[in-house]
Amino acid sequence: MDLDFTPAEREFRAEVRDWLARHVPAAPLPSMDTGEGFEAHREWERLLAADRLSVVSWPVEYGGRGASLVEWLIFEEEYWAAGAPGRVGQNGIFLLAPTIFSYGTAEQRERFLPAMARADEVWAQAWSEPEAGSDLAALRSRAERVEGGWRLYGQKTWSSRACHADWGFGLFRSDPASARHRGLTYFMFPLADVTVRPIAQLDGEHGFAELFFDGVEIPDDLVLGAPGEGWRIAMATTSSERGLTLRSPGRFTATADRLVRLARSDGTDPVLADQVARAWLDAEAYRLHTFGTARRLAAGEEIGSASSMGKVFWSELDVRMHTLALRLLGERGLLDGGAPGAEDGGRWLDGFLFSLAGPIYAGTNEIQRNIIAERVLGLPR
Amino acid sequence: MNFAFTDDQLALAATVREVLAAHCPARAARTERTPAWSRLAEIGLFGLLVPEEHDGLGLGLLDAVLAFEETGRVALPGPVAETAVAAPVLLAGDPLLGKLAAGSLRVSVRVGDQVYSPDADLADLLVVERDGVPYAVTPGRARLTPQSGVDRSRRLFAVDFDLESDAESDGVTRLTAPVAPAIRAVTVAVAAQLVGAARHLLETSVGHALTRRQFGVQIGSFQAVKHLLADVAVAVEFAAPLVYAAAFAVDRGLPTAGRDVAAAKAAAGEAAELAARTALQVHGAIGYTEELDLHLWLARVWSLSAAYGGTALHRSRLRAEILGSAGPVRWP
Repeated sequence: MDLDFTPAEREFRAEVRDWLARHVPAAPLPSMDTGEGFEAHREWERLLAADRLSVVSWPVEYGGRGASLVEWLIFEEEYWAAGAPGRVGQNGIFLLAPTIFSYGTAEQRERFLPAMARADEVWAQAWSEPEAGSDLAALRSRAERVEGGWRLYGQKTWSSRACHADWGFGLFRSDPASARHRGLTYFMFPLADVTVRPIAQLDGEHGFAELFFDGVEIPDDLVLGAPGEGWRIAMATTSSERGLTLRSPGRFTATADRLVRLARSDGTDPVLADQVARAWLDAEAYRLHTFGTARRLAAGEEIGSASSMGKVFWSELDVRMHTLALRLLGERGLLDGGAPGAEDGGRWLDGFLFSLAGPIYAGTNEIQRNIIAERVLGLPR
Repeated sequence: MNFAFTDDQLALAATVREVLAAHCPARAARTERTPAWSRLAEIGLFGLLVPEEHDGLGLGLLDAVLAFEETGRVALPGPVAETAVAAPVLLAGDPLLGKLAAGSLRVSVRVGDQVYSPDADLADLLVVERDGVPYAVTPGRARLTPQSGVDRSRRLFAVDFDLESDAESDGVTRLTAPVAPAIRAVTVAVAAQLVGAARHLLETSVGHALTRRQFGVQIGSFQAVKHLLADVAVAVEFAAPLVYAAAFAVDRGLPTAGRDVAAAKAAAGEAAELAARTALQVHGAIGYTEELDLHLWLARVWSLSAAYGGTALHRSRLRAEILGSAGPVRWP
């Protein structure tokens, strides 16, 4: 065990830190859930991509640097510590891309990955349906076989980024005689062909949408993996979502450090100060644990269901940290970015509202605890 | 950055685990005060941290931390952490180190935040701090007052001794080694024992949830029980890396070592207390009996969580380190 970074890792950190210091916008970008803000975030992604920083762990040929997982974690630490903009392309980069790398054809990799790395095409996820949330296998949207391809019918919901994104991905029942996990196929589809109805979230922004498919025509080359294999392929994606890729420790260590700075004043209530210390400690625990995970992945091991432990841990830590910040700030903490009295441009409030989604998305924490109990601990279903 | 143990470190832990499985069954803790001691001495556990010139292995805490997790997993009785981890630091340079490495010198330690000496009646030597100065006291010079308590396989004693003027007399030796490094090392070892105990408690609770049937089904099929146990799994999973990182920081003498040790002890203590509380709840009334071995682990978790500073004390240190300075919060 060596917790020192190698000279190459330190050099990489210095380069990323320097780049961010020169490029991170001084004022926050407008919300990515507005048309204007979405395009501003897309431009930011292009700036990252121009210096091969949008997808550092991808191979060079697709726009990355072939960076190691540890280097990617370093990138993330620096990225969030610098207060850089949220990643508008993250559904594609962190959820779909690992699946394309594993199950896509060479043509699909060539067609989609470089455009994703440059944010020329931004992706939305489309897992949930009105009657299939935690019970995803209950999904009803279907794909009908036609000459040379498929027609998609049905409805998806809670589709993050769908209001402004270019493409979507999700599961459709391609075998009408099938039930549950069988007979599902993983499709990629252009959102231009889909009816998108924005849904206002509790902060009033259109962060997700309903999607209506009315016989959308999809050629065969937009099927990811083999028809009927969709469940297995999607599970590979969702464990990326829960585990390492979507929520790197850098986010939480950055939040913990901001929280500590907020609490570093003489008048801080000792009870809250104690909780701040604990939150800091938990962020550090998640960081160290993830370096261990990165080591195991690099050695060829699979993380599988253990990723559910990380999801429970980081999502509940994130809620705890933002709740603490609001308690420290009192009424000021509840002001948004438009208010002259807001702390840090209303970032704590934005972060608080966003953190509340964490225990719900990517499989609720109740589902995660079932997975931990059944697949990690071996308790009966 | 390479967060992984070496094959040697894993092999040592596996050996300790095998030895303890064979020589420290749960019933041993009810009747024996130092089960498996000579077996552990044979495989070199007491010489791990003793320098090679004193017939030890000259290894570091990181080499030993997984082995200590194993001693916690079986709730091993006896002053093992004190003898194997604290004593090599406190007795640095002392000719007694050879005996210590061989496992023929049991040491009880009361330094730092400790109020009592664990297993002092078994000790061949007591290290006792008085007014900030550590003394090595032979049993003949020490007055022990038993302080009976919940952990009957880790007994506590108030220790007193007479110091004639300020001079050293037979059987009382002023030690020159600084105390803080020994406290840090033994605190990490105890944190590792807490992680090990928590792992055992989780395993045994899962075992019970698989075998105990009510309403015609295994109680582990109930979501309420599953979620209790899942929370323990998460707590243990994220406490362990802090303990390993603290061992690394202590070995390297990093400026963050004090903070990292506090983090390790606070997190390991909390995880183990959650594991204990949950284990009792999942076992139900049978867990609340003397007949079942579970209480041995419960008592051990309680006593080790309080030893060498409890969670509240360590978190207050952490708070002072993190909130009390204006410096950078994390990495440089």
